[in-house]
Amino acid sequence: MITVLETIYSTAKLQMKEAVTRPTFRFCLLIQPIIYSLITYKMFINSGHDNFVAYTVLGTGILTLWSCICFSSAGDIERERYMGTLQVIYNTPTNFKVIILGKILGNTMLGLLPFFISFAFVRLFLGGDMYIKDPMAFGISMIITIASFMGISMLFAAVFTLSRSSRILMNCIEYPVFILCGILFPIEILPKWTIPLSYILSPTWAVKLLRLSVEGLEGNDIFCKYFGILTTITIIYFILSNILFKIIDNKTRIKATLGVV
Amino acid sequence: MKDSVICVENLYRDYETTKGWLNKKKVIVKALAGISFEVKKGEIFGLLGPNGAGKTTTIKILSTLLAPTSGESRVLGYKTFGEENMIRQHINFIFGGELGVYRRLSGRDNLVYFSNLYKIRKNIRDKRIDELLELVGLSEKGDLKVETYSKGMIQRLQIARGLINDPEIIYLDEPTIGLDPIGARELRDIIKELSLRRKTILLTTHYMHEADELCDRIAIINKGKIVALDTPVNLKKQNRITSVLEINVLGIYDKELEEIKKIEGVETVAVKKNDQWQLILIQFKNTHNITQNVLNVLKNNTVISVNERGALLEDAYVRLVGGSI
Ligand SMILES: Nc1ncnc2c1ncn2[C@@H]1O[C@H](COP(=O)(O)OP(=O)(O)OP(=O)(O)O)[C@@H](O)[C@H]1O
Ligand SMILES: [Mg+2]
Repeated sequence: MITVLETIYSTAKLQMKEAVTRPTFRFCLLIQPIIYSLITYKMFINSGHDNFVAYTVLGTGILTLWSCICFSSAGDIERERYMGTLQVIYNTPTNFKVIILGKILGNTMLGLLPFFISFAFVRLFLGGDMYIKDPMAFGISMIITIASFMGISMLFAAVFTLSRSSRILMNCIEYPVFILCGILFPIEILPKWTIPLSYILSPTWAVKLLRLSVEGLEGNDIFCKYFGILTTITIIYFILSNILFKIIDNKTRIKATLGVV
Repeated sequence: MKDSVICVENLYRDYETTKGWLNKKKVIVKALAGISFEVKKGEIFGLLGPNGAGKTTTIKILSTLLAPTSGESRVLGYKTFGEENMIRQHINFIFGGELGVYRRLSGRDNLVYFSNLYKIRKNIRDKRIDELLELVGLSEKGDLKVETYSKGMIQRLQIARGLINDPEIIYLDEPTIGLDPIGARELRDIIKELSLRRKTILLTTHYMHEADELCDRIAIINKGKIVALDTPVNLKKQNRITSVLEINVLGIYDKELEEIKKIEGVETVAVKKNDQWQLILIQFKNTHNITQNVLNVLKNNTVISVNERGALLEDAYVRLVGGSI
């Protein structure tokens, strides 16, 4: 029997095989982290932090992971629509949601590469030391961050399946999140009205959690609070995307958005 | 009918699109305007009709990719919209052209992936993939990336993909488009072979000889409606009293065509454009002799050749949908 997990795995594998042959994706994975590293390094070096390398690597990693995720939801669906494969995979007995999850997993795994590239780049060419005070907390934060990014990605993928203007939507969401979620500077300096928006976007909490575990926990309270919030938001994302996929399963066949012809 | 695997009854499908940019207006395209037909198990059923007639729309609805606007469409007894999970395992489709496969992967990787999505066990899968690559003549190219394939090879891979789950019902939308004559011949042989194995096949094509050769029954659709449904033999029979006059000319005006249409005994006039000359196809009652009258109308044109023959399936088609081919 081919189980759901096997399908997810084979989809993720195919996704990675396919993605690395695409020039834009390679740029995203290999060149972009270096550019972001340079920028964030310059920003954080004068921040007075002795652990600015960690901030640089973390910032770069999250920025590029986010870019990969944007690609994974919007770009892939758009591309598959034009390749004519969207209707083929949609029409198999495998649940479309499962296929999308596999694709997102593939992109996410590739999307983790920039963390290492950024780290290597900073160490080799820029210099400076980094530490992670609480590796255990960092590990946990990383896992929930990834899960959460995948949840948000599922949500976008659902919307993009229905819409033929995926690419425009994708470009609209890629950059604002860098600012809204406090990846580069604290959200507290943003105008008041954007704060609620920041709070419902999981990267905001992911960044807080990761920084906290890099700096070391004073007590468990605040870590647990952020962790709780992030987990809740992530679960809500998955529930919402589940509902959306159900609606979309019907809508897309009524509106005829699966193929180009 | 008890042994029908496809039942379509009074099926309608509208598409809603917008026109204009600033001043968007809703436009409703009626792609299907109430069609009904049934396909029996093991039958090869053809859908013929001009561009935009609604053939692809019909196939998409039957392959569970599209919801009907109203009416019934059932496959293997299940609704194509609402009970699609009972159907998908048993059907597959092949759309002509170069779409529908991952170009950056090898042919074999494509087939492996699609068989995973059809939940085919590994031991069956590997054997079947080898067989299918052999069947479509891609055994040697199977491990190369699809982007290095020619158009016809991609089309062959599509065919292998469409057979990956050993489907009961296969939808083929212009499957021989882009294939060379030998490839097209081979595909027709594959289709016949599948039919011998009691697979049901619903196909669309613009090649009349193909439909004539393959199909047990043919539905001719025009503007979303079925205008004829019968065996190729019967469709041609309807035309028994009709003969066809084929005239090649260099240049022809609408005015002259109108005059030809007025000649007694003439039923339809169609023009097929070639590179340098036009082929005028005139269907007429063979109780009349129209040749001289037609040539009188064309006395100022350069007539290359004149030929009279009996009616073919193509002529039945022209009669039913009218106009150009
Ligand atoms: N997604 C869509 N949105 C809007 N209109 C559509 C859509 N798909 C098809 N149509 C319209 O529906 C009608 C029927 O199209 P369909 O593709 O079924 O024709 P067809 O018989 O397959 O033609 P062809 O021989 O050119 O392939 C056409 O008028 C077409 O413009
Ligand atoms: Mg078509």
